[in-house]
Amino acid sequence: MADAIRLEEFKGNVVAPVDLLSLQPGRVTGLIGHPGFGLTRLGLTMLASREQLGTVAYLDVRGWLSPPAAWEAGVSPERLVVVRCDDPVRWARVASHLLEGVSAVYAEIPTRIKPAQLHKLTALARNRKTPLVLRPLQGDLPNGMAHLRLEARRVIWEGTDRGHGRLQHRKLVFAASGKAMRGMTRLIEVEDDGTNAMRLVPGLAVASSGRATG
Amino acid sequence: MPPAEPCQAIDDKNLVVAVNRSAMDAGIQVGMRRREAEAVCPTVTTIEHDPGAEMARFERVAVVVETLIPRIEVVAPGLILAPVTGAVRYFGGEEPLLDRVAKEIDNVTGPGYRIGLAAGPFASRRAAEMATDGDPIFIVADDDAFRETLNVTALGSEDMAAVFRWLGISTLGELAALPREAVVSRFGPDGLRAHRLACGEDRDTHDRVIADDLSIEEKFDPPLENLEQVAFVARSIAHQLLAAPVLEGATPHRIEVEAEAADGAIRTRTWRSADPFNEQMLGERVRWQLQAWLDTARMRSGPGIRGGLVRLRIMPADLSDQGRQLALDEDALSAAEAQRAFAQTQAIVGNDDVLQAIPQGGRDPGEKALWYRWGETPPAPQRDPNAPWPGQIPAPMPALVPPDPYPLDVEWENGIPTRIRLGSRWVEVLSWAGPWRKVGRWWDGEHPADRYQLVTSAGAFLCAVIEGRTYMAGVYD
Repeated sequence: MADAIRLEEFKGNVVAPVDLLSLQPGRVTGLIGHPGFGLTRLGLTMLASREQLGTVAYLDVRGWLSPPAAWEAGVSPERLVVVRCDDPVRWARVASHLLEGVSAVYAEIPTRIKPAQLHKLTALARNRKTPLVLRPLQGDLPNGMAHLRLEARRVIWEGTDRGHGRLQHRKLVFAASGKAMRGMTRLIEVEDDGTNAMRLVPGLAVASSGRATG
Repeated sequence: MPPAEPCQAIDDKNLVVAVNRSAMDAGIQVGMRRREAEAVCPTVTTIEHDPGAEMARFERVAVVVETLIPRIEVVAPGLILAPVTGAVRYFGGEEPLLDRVAKEIDNVTGPGYRIGLAAGPFASRRAAEMATDGDPIFIVADDDAFRETLNVTALGSEDMAAVFRWLGISTLGELAALPREAVVSRFGPDGLRAHRLACGEDRDTHDRVIADDLSIEEKFDPPLENLEQVAFVARSIAHQLLAAPVLEGATPHRIEVEAEAADGAIRTRTWRSADPFNEQMLGERVRWQLQAWLDTARMRSGPGIRGGLVRLRIMPADLSDQGRQLALDEDALSAAEAQRAFAQTQAIVGNDDVLQAIPQGGRDPGEKALWYRWGETPPAPQRDPNAPWPGQIPAPMPALVPPDPYPLDVEWENGIPTRIRLGSRWVEVLSWAGPWRKVGRWWDGEHPADRYQLVTSAGAFLCAVIEGRTYMAGVYD
């Protein structure tokens, strides 16, 4: 699937969604994909856009989050609180409490969480005007839940060779859909320098997925 | 409530918020669910909690106490704090003063009231709880001894009291004898508050101080008489006050509500709260007070606001900024909400799972963060973050680091990684970097490790080769 994607120079009249990496009050962002495709770092970059308004919370189901990556993404150590909870029963209660108090929440979703619980959470996020980033550890989010849904398609690392160099720079390609994309599915490219916040590549590559281009 | 038959008040969440003596004897406790309480005592009479109406009835008590002791503070309908230093001198002693107060309250409400006298709001409230119907006045002679003998349930948290009891601590004196750092480390902010109360570090009622004018005032023409209008005005003025730039992010613990009636009479009342007032709390208190004044005037049961409200003024006092510098876009309200959210989260998952981290030095990504529990003072870094740390993994750091590295299947050909197993499939290694050699602490039984960055089409991974076996040490997610 990833190999079939082609990026082309943007030629149409649709403006590149340059504010996609900033969280909006009450909006739900869904990050779909396997570990390794840059979704955690993308979520941390989104949290960084809200940390100036107050504390942000990372609901860590696996207990794997490495804070140095969050600091590199722009989240201050004193503004990041990590809550570890892998129990699906308590997870929804914890997420609800966090939504009521902090300025943004990134929540990994454990398995066995029912769609009804997620719908309640998204309703609460809208009601409290708290941005919510949801990252299912398995599967996908229910249809229509996310205002912006980013599905990882490709990651290209630069800087390493056969034993030389080091990881320096990567390009991430996502299929973006949802209301934030006006109901259309488009490919977007994000650059990650490693030690700075990610940035969306402007004016590039917004070909509709599923249609051969280029 | 009728004293002879069991009676309970419930809030809009069907939780019991108040019970009378008969209901308490029958086994009903505050905090129970309604159904649970009715199962314990099927004959209980249930009424809905209405703070506005309660304040309207309690206003008469506040008025008579205020005629004897100036600058009283209302905590909630039914509970008044009063600084008595001046009044004690005027009436010639504590007992004459309290006898007079009791007599005046008795004239208004009849028996059932309780009065406690002690140093500070916390101790005096506990003293009032120890008074009885037969002897409604409880004067504490030795404040330190009184506080030390109080049971830990006086702290108001049954969960915390249960843990204290389990640890063999049953009184506040025993709690105060513990090192504060140890209590905070175990119980977080709630433990700090409990230890402060146990040590007698309660907030005193303050004498009046002349401060900058931080008040918010609104005038109404025609006068307001409708309760719905009053509720709207209360919420609006609470919002104006807390959003006012003169407060500079601080929030008040105490507010004075001043209202002018159409006949020119001016009424004032002070409200206080242990937590800083947020918009909802402040709006509720202003509404309750105005409702009380309007109702007492309408029922001619006291000197309320006759002819409607023409002017309302709210003055904040006892400002609190929690000793913290707020960011430009941050407000104290959001900080208080975040504190509450994390405290509730701690109650669910435990103190050890609500964490923050500070940077420190180290060679592995996992070593570069020093975790500490939320609510505690950040510890000093154990390793110097500015030291060179030879062999450390260069930035960027992997976003995901397993707590304990787990075995990973990697195929090597002549020392070069070729394939890596992710789940059930093998993925080709496109490029790789390393190794970064880490000499383990051999005296601690730690083995040397070679760390590699492996790049595949499914992302990049940090692997560690220890004694010929490969382990997953991080995911560049």
